Amino acid sequence: MRLPSPERAILHLDLDTFFVSVERLHDSRLQGKPIMIGGKGDRGVVASCSYEARSFGVHSGMPMRLARRLCPQALLISGDMESYSKYSHLVTDIIAGSAPLFEKASIDEFYLDLSGMDRFFGTLKWATELRQKIISESGLPISFGLSAAKMVSKVATGEAKPNGQLHIPFGHETKFLDPLPIRKIPMIGKKTGQLLCNMGVDRVKMLRQIPLELLERLLGKAGVLLWKRARGIDSSPVIPYFEAKSISTERTFEQDTIDVQRLQSTLIGMTEKTAFRLREQKKLTACISVKIRYSNFDTFSRQIKIPYTANDNILIRHALDLFKQLYDRRLLVRLVGLRFSHLVHGHYQIDLFDDRCEEIRLYQAMDQMRRKYGKTMVMRAVAIDSDKQRKALNSSEKTSSCIP
Amino acid sequence: MKFIVSNTALLQNLQLINGVISTNTVLPILEDFLFVIEDSKLSIYATDLETSMSTSLEIEAKENGRVAIPARILLETCKNLPDQPLTISIDENNYAIEITTENGKYKLAGENGDEFPRIPVAEDVKKVSIPGSTLQRAISYTLFAVSNDELRAAMTGVYVELGTDGVIFVATDAHKLVKYKRTDVQAEQNASFILPKKALNLLKASLPEDEQVKISYNTSNAFFSFGKVSLICRLIDSKYPDYNNVIPTENPNKLTLTKKDFQNSLKRIAIYANKTTHQVILRITGSELQVSAQDLDFSNEANEKLNCLYEGEDLEIGFNAKFLIEMMNVIDSKEVKIDMSSPTRAGLLFPTEHDDNEDITMLVMPVMLSA
Repeated sequence: MRLPSPERAILHLDLDTFFVSVERLHDSRLQGKPIMIGGKGDRGVVASCSYEARSFGVHSGMPMRLARRLCPQALLISGDMESYSKYSHLVTDIIAGSAPLFEKASIDEFYLDLSGMDRFFGTLKWATELRQKIISESGLPISFGLSAAKMVSKVATGEAKPNGQLHIPFGHETKFLDPLPIRKIPMIGKKTGQLLCNMGVDRVKMLRQIPLELLERLLGKAGVLLWKRARGIDSSPVIPYFEAKSISTERTFEQDTIDVQRLQSTLIGMTEKTAFRLREQKKLTACISVKIRYSNFDTFSRQIKIPYTANDNILIRHALDLFKQLYDRRLLVRLVGLRFSHLVHGHYQIDLFDDRCEEIRLYQAMDQMRRKYGKTMVMRAVAIDSDKQRKALNSSEKTSSCIP
Repeated sequence: MKFIVSNTALLQNLQLINGVISTNTVLPILEDFLFVIEDSKLSIYATDLETSMSTSLEIEAKENGRVAIPARILLETCKNLPDQPLTISIDENNYAIEITTENGKYKLAGENGDEFPRIPVAEDVKKVSIPGSTLQRAISYTLFAVSNDELRAAMTGVYVELGTDGVIFVATDAHKLVKYKRTDVQAEQNASFILPKKALNLLKASLPEDEQVKISYNTSNAFFSFGKVSLICRLIDSKYPDYNNVIPTENPNKLTLTKKDFQNSLKRIAIYANKTTHQVILRITGSELQVSAQDLDFSNEANEKLNCLYEGEDLEIGFNAKFLIEMMNVIDSKEVKIDMSSPTRAGLLFPTEHDDNEDITMLVMPVMLSA
């Protein structure tokens, strides 16, 4: 294990209210106004909100319904993921052009390992220049925290916001962390926070004074980690590249549904889109799993191992089979999900008997159209229906690549 | 019941048929050899209910009888004894077996021979005869292409098409296909059946080079007999896919290569291909073939150039290297010809030289490279 040492320098960069900033870049009238971005329906959640809206108690992840009640005057924007990822790429490119080693932790968050660079430039000076460069080239406000550990830098960024920077020199970690409320430490969520709060622990300083054995008995392995974190010890490295272990997507319906046909066509559409993503990454899957959540939040999933494939026909067939096995209650369904795992690089092996040459060419042509004109340009007719319904009802869809 | 048999002779016969016995059986008695003695002739049977084998040898015995003897113990005993006559006596009340040798005495528990599953007998059969070496060659050409997919039962065996003008053996797993035709073997009537993989493996291991193999078949079983050995297998009861339909006829792009060079190149390149998919790309421009592979997970990459004869337009096509290597391994000609039409259609492989009486076609499906 690498202990924190003066040798290490980890920079954490985080774009301030990223989605809001991008929207403001497009429309300057949005400056200084309370803005909330997220699904507009009743089931939507706040994906991002401006500082003006935060002063009303709104925070990201909050149900939109509640947020609207708290801040009725806020401007609601449904968001444009494409434009956000474009700006995210822009910032990534700037960082990639200057940093020796970086990790893209999320769409608006980066870790950089600057260890050893102080010999030439001075890490703080270098980081400040990089921040200015990003601000001037992208027009987006960004904050950073700089310290010898990933976790401390992240907390520092949170303290530096909005549009600021904070350097925690080696040896000053506890002095910095001590007065902060414990919830500032990543990994202390609602449950752990509540538990510690009930014990009367509210500041990091007090947390730090709890003996290791007690924390371990209380929280198990997480307790040991927490004991270290309270001291600013975090030896996790900056990992430049993650290979996705699985790709998945899920859809929550605007209104719970019992319409089996609609559920199936939704699943077909999801399979089609996810299979396209699979092929774009030149990957094959050997395990497909389907998840459904009933309106009472009972969640079930089922999976099946199949020979490596990226073929729509095969994947759709298995997805529907799994769904049929899963959906055995006459209950309203809230969510359906789909996941491809056991991924491997490769191309689909054409079958001598099941695949006809015309079909293969059709699939290739469809993929070319999707690449050129967008993912939803061509699709199966059964799936179109669900897509229209989705747009009309604006149910929320979440797509993700899971990283280890 | 008591008989005397030479250890070496017994061992040879046991080893001929031992392959039938599977390790985890449903019935414990299937782990036994059945010994049947009739007029100083010992017949030994082994079966897994699907496939059965038997052999026979002369022994010294005064009485007739039958008993099932645990296969593994008997075989190991024979293997580890020096050559000598063994005296085997069986207590007919409890089937206790005693083997007396110069080295000592061994006791083991046998089972009632009457409880051993009945071995199918050839009834209502049609017959054909094939030289052992021909059948051997047909099996080695086709066996590797047989599928392991239990869901497609027909493809888990080799399809045999008997005709008055020749015999055709076909194997496929839907990604590769082999069609092996012999014109020097004729059947009296047209017929077809699917032989299971296990039976073919057993045949391959025990077929004689210079003897005729008599094959009889009815709708449910096939019977092979050669020398003292006979093998009976249940046929796969499933419809074989229409293989002729999927062999493309128009293949304007013709590639000719030295087999050894191509085989060795593939073996090297495959080391650098993804360990699960084994995919390699063939790029043909002019008279140069480029073979390449990469494994993005480990940043492995390999690239080789080979001289070749080529007629046709430039082509880029992806294959599973394992399939190609398996094919090269069974082909015994100096050069190999590959006919192709497009990157999404099957490639056809032929050896350039072969026996006048045989006709070999191999087919391999490409992988779908993204356009």
